[in-house]
Amino acid sequence: MTGEYFFYIVYIMIGRDYLGEFEHIIVLALLRLGDRAYGVTVRQEIEFRTKREVSIGAVYATLDRLEKKGYVKSRHGDPTPERGGRSKRFFRVTAKGVTTANRTQRALQSMTEGLDLIRSYS
Amino acid sequence: MRSQPHFARPPRLAAWLVNLFAPADQAESILGDLHEEFSQIGSKSGAAAARDWYWRQSLRTMANLASGGFRGAPWTTSGAVIGGFLLLRFAHWLPGKLLNAVTDRNLMYWSNHFHAYLWVLKAQFPEYLLTTLLTGCIVALIAKKREMIATMALGIILCAMILFGYLSALAKTGDTYYLGSMPWAFSDPLAIIVGGMLVRRLRFHVTTLPLD
Repeated sequence: MTGEYFFYIVYIMIGRDYLGEFEHIIVLALLRLGDRAYGVTVRQEIEFRTKREVSIGAVYATLDRLEKKGYVKSRHGDPTPERGGRSKRFFRVTAKGVTTANRTQRALQSMTEGLDLIRSYS
Repeated sequence: MRSQPHFARPPRLAAWLVNLFAPADQAESILGDLHEEFSQIGSKSGAAAARDWYWRQSLRTMANLASGGFRGAPWTTSGAVIGGFLLLRFAHWLPGKLLNAVTDRNLMYWSNHFHAYLWVLKAQFPEYLLTTLLTGCIVALIAKKREMIATMALGIILCAMILFGYLSALAKTGDTYYLGSMPWAFSDPLAIIVGGMLVRRLRFHVTTLPLD
């Protein structure tokens, strides 16, 4: 294998990053919420739409991972009394995060294309 | 300014536990989010429902933060746990060896001062606990932001070993005498976890100090 070919494969592998299931859900929740995206709203949005109970710890552990990968950025708001004097941490999706979410979504769509999941496999 | 009604305050123990497991830079926002939702549920469904929700969320949050923390740095955390285990073995072996060396060399003196010898033996227990506590602190320092995950893991391993040791001794001898001293044996893993808590609290205070 030539060095050039090796680096091409590495480039392709780096470029082909996908989101995990919960990461994908979190990114979609952030995109839906826009400027209002912080721990409480993200958790409630996921619970409302997916009908599954989610812990705030799971949300933060995933957001932390997404931030390290560069898909999400965060900033601190001001402390408020209804939060016991603690500040909110707002999140937003970066351009890289949007690209990866799109790629993941297309992969899922392509895998489910032509399948009648409700009738054939239930 | 009116103080909050009693039910509007989240369970302190649950909040304290979440604070121990959360990374220092996330603790404030996580506890703030829990507090906000606790107040919402409290005003909608009552204090008992809010408290139940808070405890349920806290326990799941701790589990998520622990597993997320381990997955974030599996080698550092495992290294800290294994290193801590080996260090503990060495730290408990060395003082006993030194004491034996001293008492064996001056057998005549110790047999004439038997009370002093008993006191030396009694002093071994606090020394033992302090050594374990210090080992817990070292494990927590090595584990960096995952103090509680590493020390809890080591504590659980030690608990399992103690339980296995006692149960196998009981099965072999059938003598329930051993069970009386079992609670003392658990002071070891407890001291490890306390060491982790101390470092966690210290680190939290240092990282959240105002920069002025």
